[in-house]
Amino acid sequence: MSLIHVEHLSKHFKVLNRREGLSGAFRDLFSGNYRTVKAVEDISFDIEAGEIVGYIGPNGAGKSTTIKMMTGILKPTDGTLQVNGLVPYNNRIHQAQIMGVVFGQRSQLWWDLPVIESFKILKEIYKVDQATFDKHMNLFNELVGLKSLYSQQVRTLSLGQRMLCDITASFLHNPQIVFLDEPTIGLDISIKAKIRSVIKELNQIHNTTIILTTHDLGDVEALCRRIIIIDKGKILYDGDIKKVNALFGAYRTLKLQIDNFSESTLTDLRTDLAKHFDVDHGIVVAQTEEFWTDVTIDQAHTPLSDVLNFVMSGFPVSDVRIVEISMENVVQRVYDGALG
Amino acid sequence: MRSYFALMRGSYMIGLVYRFGFLFSIAGNIIYMSVTYFLWHSIYQGKATIHGLTFDQTYTYVALGSAVFILLKTYVDWQMSFDIREGMIAAYLIKPIDLQLYELFTSFGSFLMSLSAITIPTVLLLIIVFRIQIPLGLGLILFPFSLILAYLLGFCFDYFTGLLGFYTESIWGLSITKDIIVMVLSGALIPLQFFPTVIQKILLWLPFQAIYYTPLTMAAQPMLSWETFLSMLAVQIFWVITLFTLTRLFYNQAVKVLRISGG
Amino acid sequence: MHSLTDYLHLYFTIEKQYIKARMQYRADFIISSIGMFFSSLATLGIFWVIFNSIPDLAGWTFTQLIFIYGFYMIAISPMQILFDNIWQIRFHVQQGTFLKYYFRPLNMMFYYMSETFDLKGLTQLAGGIVLLIYASHQLNIVWSPLQIVLLLLTLFSASLVQISITILAGCAAFWVLDAYPILGLAWKLREYAPYPMNIFDGAFRFTFTYIIPLGFVAFYPSQLFLQPQTVSKLIYVSPIVGIGLFALTYWVWTLGVNSYTGTGS
Repeated sequence: MSLIHVEHLSKHFKVLNRREGLSGAFRDLFSGNYRTVKAVEDISFDIEAGEIVGYIGPNGAGKSTTIKMMTGILKPTDGTLQVNGLVPYNNRIHQAQIMGVVFGQRSQLWWDLPVIESFKILKEIYKVDQATFDKHMNLFNELVGLKSLYSQQVRTLSLGQRMLCDITASFLHNPQIVFLDEPTIGLDISIKAKIRSVIKELNQIHNTTIILTTHDLGDVEALCRRIIIIDKGKILYDGDIKKVNALFGAYRTLKLQIDNFSESTLTDLRTDLAKHFDVDHGIVVAQTEEFWTDVTIDQAHTPLSDVLNFVMSGFPVSDVRIVEISMENVVQRVYDGALG
Repeated sequence: MRSYFALMRGSYMIGLVYRFGFLFSIAGNIIYMSVTYFLWHSIYQGKATIHGLTFDQTYTYVALGSAVFILLKTYVDWQMSFDIREGMIAAYLIKPIDLQLYELFTSFGSFLMSLSAITIPTVLLLIIVFRIQIPLGLGLILFPFSLILAYLLGFCFDYFTGLLGFYTESIWGLSITKDIIVMVLSGALIPLQFFPTVIQKILLWLPFQAIYYTPLTMAAQPMLSWETFLSMLAVQIFWVITLFTLTRLFYNQAVKVLRISGG
Repeated sequence: MHSLTDYLHLYFTIEKQYIKARMQYRADFIISSIGMFFSSLATLGIFWVIFNSIPDLAGWTFTQLIFIYGFYMIAISPMQILFDNIWQIRFHVQQGTFLKYYFRPLNMMFYYMSETFDLKGLTQLAGGIVLLIYASHQLNIVWSPLQIVLLLLTLFSASLVQISITILAGCAAFWVLDAYPILGLAWKLREYAPYPMNIFDGAFRFTFTYIIPLGFVAFYPSQLFLQPQTVSKLIYVSPIVGIGLFALTYWVWTLGVNSYTGTGS
């Protein structure tokens, strides 16, 4: 029996079609006109202990709804959902004992208290015995230098420090599953790397199952071996990350601000790039917002630096940005059959 | 000057949006009017007048008092504390506007809103439901003017509290204490005639009575002599000028604290 | 999962730390306490002025009213001190931060309310105790052990009534967008709790007894000590009213918690 077993799971919401205006609001009170929103529709998967699974998809895809069902907050409309053999919804408090949850945006620690006090309170809430507590606190100190933060109030910590505290705190009681939601959001590259390595370590030491929901594909690349892509309530893909890596891993978008931009600039850029590079293997030029031109490159075939040098020597570029491919783009490609 | 009127209009419009809150304010007001009706009815059992006031006069005073209380509530102190927290006061210090006037005109818009939304229904309730008889006297005509002066006075106290907020983060405590002091010493809850004579005499010398006692007396006892009303208005005007000046002076002190602490 | 003792111990641990952290804000504590102290005595001040002109109000002397008022101040203190976080609920519900309370193996109302401990409410409690002792001394009330037990029981029940009314009003935030005025109104109503119920006529007395049972916060329970001989059967319901009302409140809270799905996808 898998740790997490999901079979034909669905969650439908009845949403009120709000009518316009004051008289409309009044009528809504009496004869509500409802439509059904299928937040999650017939999804199935199994997750074993120790897996790190990336659960990704665009906004509104149904990620949070699934997580809420797994943590026992929402009651499924249909299908089977079992975590550690139990139905989460009827056992919220019991299930909370074996789970950890971290939100990137908001801390779950006690804001005004020193860090160590939060951990002590958690120790009491989860009934962690002294030996385990000491062992874990030492481990956390090895991994992130937690002891140096003990006496600081949580609200005085930097975002990166706070995230590290939240993440380690979620492992304190040795949960079987940890849900991480946007754990690296808003952080700079070096902290992101640190957080990713900490998550990996903790997963390996305790064989904790980790479910990662994030828009940061770097997180996914670094941590997950398996990805589940969900969109509009349905699962688009469930499998090895290597296959999907081909989809997005190597792609980068070069955003350029070119002076004296005109209609001809775009065409010139296209022709020049076509002449110089092997465009069939993934260089796409497009104009997005007003003054930015996007050049999307498949780095597996063409090094970004080459393209950048080329463009800058031939065109008056005043500003450059390099961004990863977006989640929406990935999903679009999956729809387009990129995974076959 | 135009920008100040824009501020006023803006807060008037915002008042329209918070219909729900207003509805509950009015509901709360109605409950207060009812409870105090019973209270004073009990007090006046078997008595025609107490301290020279009839039941109708006292009840008019008390019932209007609660409507006026909502009317005069400016939240300026809270707004200023909120602005400091958001770091916005620094912006005001740089812009070429007068903080006191800014706060005054912003709050005046909601004053006008409350005037129509609350006072008028209250007066109607008084006359129709509670069958209180209010004779049409000079006092009633002077009442609105007195209210505006009372508003300016109340504003001064709120503004002063807001300035105190520059020194400490504890705006709740300051605001509540200010509210209580004003309410108790101004005769907002009971006509000053009911207070022990010694205390009465002291209170009449303080500015607080000009906020509630003066306008409420005009409405509850409109048949008093025009000399009485004139001197009451004069006292109000005196306090308005005095307190405006004093708070402006205090502003110069308080703002130094802001500059030091970085806003 | 957790026993009652577990919860008590946990509460003690959390609040000890919370109070430590809040005590850093010395000035705020002092100013707020002063503000709270004066505001809680405002209604008593009104009564004092009134009694300057009349010997009794609907058959009640000023000393008796002081007793009722002291009872009232003690009864509303637990709400003030322990459940103050209800004022933030609209904020948490709308911002989505309310979700965090679902994820611990704790009762959600406990977890939510444990986040604040309103120290300044202690001044109100102290004030109430002083008034109660003073009044009962003036009225020559005999405090036998049985009377004391009865007092504690009725205070407990009365505090539950106040807590219930307030939390019920706060629960509106789960369903209504701008629920703050509802809570504000319920809060304002508490000012009328020390008023003698017999000044009200039929409809109002009915409302304050059976619909929004403010009468059970101070007036009715006080009768057991002020006029034990002439007490009506209604008064003996006092202890049950609080518990029943709180059960209802907890049920509504659970409904709200279950219906809340949070913001975002």
